[in-house]
Amino acid sequence: MHTTSRRRFLELAGLGAVGAAIGPQPARAAGKTITLLHETSFIPPFDEFMQKTLAPAYEKETGVKIVYELTSVGSSPTRISTIIETGSGADITIIFLLYPFLYGDKLMDVSDIAEEAGQQQGGWYPAAREAAVVNGKWKAIPHSNIGQLMNWRTDWFAEVGIKKFPDTWEELYEAGKKLKAKGYPFGFELGHGFGDNHGWIYPLLWSYGGHEVEADGKTVVIDSDETARALDFARKFFKDCMFDDVLGWTDPSNNKAWMAEQISCTNNAESILWFAKAHFPDIGKVTDQAQNPAGPKGRFHLLDCQSHAIFDFSPQKEEAHKFLRWLTAEKQLGAWYASADSYYQPFLHAYDNAPMWQVEPRNIPYRDAMATAHLPGWPAPPDHHLAEAVAKYVIVDMFAKACTDTSTKDAIKAAETQLKGIYQTA
Amino acid sequence: MSIRSEPLVRVALPPRRAFSLAGWLDREAVFGWLMMGLPLMFLAALVGYPLVYGVLLSLQDRVIGKPGHFVGLKNFITNFHDPVFWRVAVNTFIYTIAATLLKMVGGLALAVAMNQHFRMKNLIRALLLLPFIVPTVLSTVAWMWMLDPAFSVVNRLLIGLGVTPPGPSWLGNPSLAMFSLIMINTWRGLPFYGITLLAGLQTVPPELYEAATIDGAGGWHRFRFVTLPLMKPIILIVTLFSVIFTFADFQLVYVLTHGGPQNATQLFATYAFDIAMGAGQLGLGASVALTMLPALGLLIVALTLYMRRA
Repeated sequence: MHTTSRRRFLELAGLGAVGAAIGPQPARAAGKTITLLHETSFIPPFDEFMQKTLAPAYEKETGVKIVYELTSVGSSPTRISTIIETGSGADITIIFLLYPFLYGDKLMDVSDIAEEAGQQQGGWYPAAREAAVVNGKWKAIPHSNIGQLMNWRTDWFAEVGIKKFPDTWEELYEAGKKLKAKGYPFGFELGHGFGDNHGWIYPLLWSYGGHEVEADGKTVVIDSDETARALDFARKFFKDCMFDDVLGWTDPSNNKAWMAEQISCTNNAESILWFAKAHFPDIGKVTDQAQNPAGPKGRFHLLDCQSHAIFDFSPQKEEAHKFLRWLTAEKQLGAWYASADSYYQPFLHAYDNAPMWQVEPRNIPYRDAMATAHLPGWPAPPDHHLAEAVAKYVIVDMFAKACTDTSTKDAIKAAETQLKGIYQTA
Repeated sequence: MSIRSEPLVRVALPPRRAFSLAGWLDREAVFGWLMMGLPLMFLAALVGYPLVYGVLLSLQDRVIGKPGHFVGLKNFITNFHDPVFWRVAVNTFIYTIAATLLKMVGGLALAVAMNQHFRMKNLIRALLLLPFIVPTVLSTVAWMWMLDPAFSVVNRLLIGLGVTPPGPSWLGNPSLAMFSLIMINTWRGLPFYGITLLAGLQTVPPELYEAATIDGAGGWHRFRFVTLPLMKPIILIVTLFSVIFTFADFQLVYVLTHGGPQNATQLFATYAFDIAMGAGQLGLGASVALTMLPALGLLIVALTLYMRRA
């Protein structure tokens, strides 16, 4: 009995191993299925439009099945890195911010699609080139910007006599002081989130004339009077208009605080208004949106571009290219944008006056902000050094330090040391 | 002349056993290795390979999507000059030491309490495991709400007790943020300690307590001179595991603070992740992660030696 069970066990184990080795592999019918990877949209009808309308339409037209693979918000960088490292996975992906530059070598040249779309759809905003042209070639097709702008409570601002959103940072500061005194503080993220901190910190730095690194990608120039002035402003802005918690905030925090009626002004994507309208209609009614305030050196916004890129190693890249070209044509693209109202701001001028902007006119500042939008770290070239500086929160932490107990000089010094270490110029 | 000796010789030889697979498999040495083979392969594939690959990565200037070049210890030297790296190292040690000590003392107290006889003992023991069973990300999100200034039950309680509103900023103040993380880690890890130590407590023979009581020992003395010495090996093992888990903690920090404010809660694991995944610097990220290895290795060796001596 003893031996039989041992032998039986081994036989079974052996069979199992053989079965696993020769069993059916996950099959991908060559040329018949294209996988498009996206992060789940904050606006559910947007994903549904791809699943229920665009994908079936393309399959009907060409016989090629489109698999719309959704991954959770914020997880696409890890997914894309894995696909690039293993050389397998989706054929087309959504790709954000600096990643088209980091992974440019692994992405297909889609300049032909971009040029064609530009010619047929009114031309690209300059920001589109900044976000997707790597060494002279379009490595991704910019789909849309998810701008980070000012969201403000019209009723509370009115209580301190302000009907129109302040035009400059100084005016916003004056308003914030009064509002905080009335128990309506501002809430601008100074912690380690990703979008809502960079969304206002970079524009603030730029609007005072400060930069981390020169356009040469080598010279660290963070230690400047301009940076110091931006930090001095941030310190009083934090102390007189905000409260301590913002130092530890991550991206969901300001949305929660908004719906809890805890803050009177923040910096966020349009989703804050969209969510308020859907779930807290009373708050939705008194929420308005505006471009970032201007500083002494102008008005700036963060370029938060999401693009579509084709993996160059995909065995079906030609099929993927055909699909992306079809998707980028006005008929498909326009309808897809419209499905999400104006949450996704198009980079093509053909949509500047599209009906979708009239669905919610409070979103129009997001369209206008694209003219002054830049990638994080601008004007330094988007490369691995810059990505490291962003991933290490060098600029965010410099501002956060200055807002607490560190002197402007020491906060800048600490950031400079880190940047020089990253750029290896120390 | 037909005498031939061959048949005789053949008869004289002992019959040779034919090779049988069953017989071969039945040999203890063979069967033992066969049984060990699978787990060993499993370990080599899932632990050995990533470790070796990690070490190789840390010695290269490898970025995602590009081949790396051997750069020796350059990544480690870069870290050595990075002030944030040292901050992260200090954070990780504070976090591990504080959380492990709290879990050890709390876990022991919990085990001793659970070892008493009371009504619904089994139900309460099972419930105690909940923090350990609930997926960390889920329980951390619950904590996120509990520590949120607008919704915090903790702050509401404190304000009720007379603290000026809105109360402490649990995740916004650098020291409080670390304190909060240590507390939540302790909350999550306590059941592991408690239940494991409880299992150990139940193996202590009651006669020893009886003998100690007859000798005049009170509750504290019974604990100090009977329970504690007998529990030492199991305490050490649980501590070893706990230190490893705590040192390499990722989820809690990633969900709650992402290392903020100003890197006050950044640990080796989260910092390495940001560098490797956020910035695509696989080599540098691996070198940060590997810095954990010598410290953990030394600790494991020290604890193992201590246990062997004990």
